[in-house]
Amino acid sequence: MNDLWTDIITFLSSGNIWIFIRACILIVLGIVFAKLISTALIKLVSNKMDNHRLMLIKRGSYYLILILFLISALRELGFNLSVLLGAAGVFSVAIGFASQTSASNLISGLFLVAERPFTVGDIIRVGTTTGEVLSIDLLSVKLRTFDNLFVRIPNESLIKSEVTTLTRFPIRRLDVLVGVAYKEDLKKVRATLDDVANKNPLCLEEPKPLYIFQGFGESSLDIQYSVWAKREKFLELKNSIHEEIKNAFDENEIEIPFPHRTIYTGAETKPFPVNMGNDT
Amino acid sequence: MTVETKNDLTWWGKFKLEIENNKEWHVGPLKLIVRRLNNEWQIAHESKDDFDSLDFSWEIKDTEEQLVSCSNNSRYILHDTTGELIVIPRLADRSIVSRPHMPFNLAANEEIVLYVSSPLWIDLEVGTTHLKSLAIQRLSDTWFGPSTLEGDFCYASTTHCRLNYEDLPKRSHKAITPVLIKNRSETTLLLERLNLPIPLLPLYKSLSGQLWTPQITLIREKDGDMAELKVDNVPPTEIGTVELVSEARDKTKDNILFRAFNTVFN
Repeated sequence: MNDLWTDIITFLSSGNIWIFIRACILIVLGIVFAKLISTALIKLVSNKMDNHRLMLIKRGSYYLILILFLISALRELGFNLSVLLGAAGVFSVAIGFASQTSASNLISGLFLVAERPFTVGDIIRVGTTTGEVLSIDLLSVKLRTFDNLFVRIPNESLIKSEVTTLTRFPIRRLDVLVGVAYKEDLKKVRATLDDVANKNPLCLEEPKPLYIFQGFGESSLDIQYSVWAKREKFLELKNSIHEEIKNAFDENEIEIPFPHRTIYTGAETKPFPVNMGNDT
Repeated sequence: MTVETKNDLTWWGKFKLEIENNKEWHVGPLKLIVRRLNNEWQIAHESKDDFDSLDFSWEIKDTEEQLVSCSNNSRYILHDTTGELIVIPRLADRSIVSRPHMPFNLAANEEIVLYVSSPLWIDLEVGTTHLKSLAIQRLSDTWFGPSTLEGDFCYASTTHCRLNYEDLPKRSHKAITPVLIKNRSETTLLLERLNLPIPLLPLYKSLSGQLWTPQITLIREKDGDMAELKVDNVPPTEIGTVELVSEARDKTKDNILFRAFNTVFN
């Protein structure tokens, strides 16, 4: 302990303190300059680029400037950078073996940045998680789910799994699955569905709604009726069109059946005894 | 109570409202009520679904009807002492894709003038403050483009594509656009849908109060892949003396545009 104290006193008294202070000032200046220049760059190109590219430019310029200032600070302290870089090479191999997961995420992150399957602000679905992309970092992608939770997904998982970008294209198709009773006239059902789609202003006229007879179900004729909507109006259409189809079917006396269960006890048994509430 | 209905279709202009007074408009399927309060304007509106599209009648009246009777209500707080409401008819804010009731064929090297109508919007202003912009008739959205990946959002409308100027019905809630189509190709042009760049058009009033836009010329070139779209700088000649009612929403210096054939016709 005494030796350490003596070393510190020697270091401070030998005039190295000023070198140390200069190095600290360089680091602080580096942080300030990096912040200022990256912010100025963003303002300069903000109209021409999307959020994802802006974030890459901001971070890239920030770390580049900061690293330059750090190197200057290290030289000020008397470090030989070629020796330091050589040591860093050996050190990075050791680190690489020790942190395979992080390295894998890092490489996946680079692939994600190059491939650009989604950008900041897009809505994506990964497995059961759906949310808005907040940032795409080298190790992970951060999402905000619709119930306002923060979700961090490692880049490696994103590269390996299926990712759906919900906001890639301007229009989306909504598949309405509906069953009608076997007695119904399918031409009338189709005309009713077309009429509902025509009257709903959110339902796009083109591409035309798609009518698909899915088959003879257990208790209903199964139909898929697909309509297109503007991406931003998708949820609004989903809510309105189901209600309108139900109302139109009621108005036109088209039955939407549901499975009925008949309890049959067999020919040999007696019928179930039925007691009226008042008799008990 | 004062009720204004005229034959000349002019339902727009400047209207004076006293504090705590209401005014009501019935134009086409739209019912609009505006109420002035101290430093506040309230606007309520709703559209009828069962509306006779050939009905040209309109009505403006003082009313005591409550604004809550309409399905859409909004309040605007602003300091205003004049009490003057400016009502301006406008064209739609997106292109309109008109579908003829019955598609027709235009023979090779033929040309024709069609009259296509499009529903109006209303801008409400007090002094220099814009309060609200609303559609008289809510049109259905549609997508116009070569695929589901690329294209434009437009409004969808149907049209009779009348060929004679005399056959046009008078309508207070629609503007009429003459469309000259020239088929310079060697093949017949089947016209099923027509994409009209409505935001590029100004609005003119004829002597009878009917609203018109300048003529649009669509030329199908010989190679068939490109279409030339030209918007006239002057009002249509067939209506005589006119008055400019509102400027185009999008002002473009070029009144001749070349577009891919499938972005104009379909």
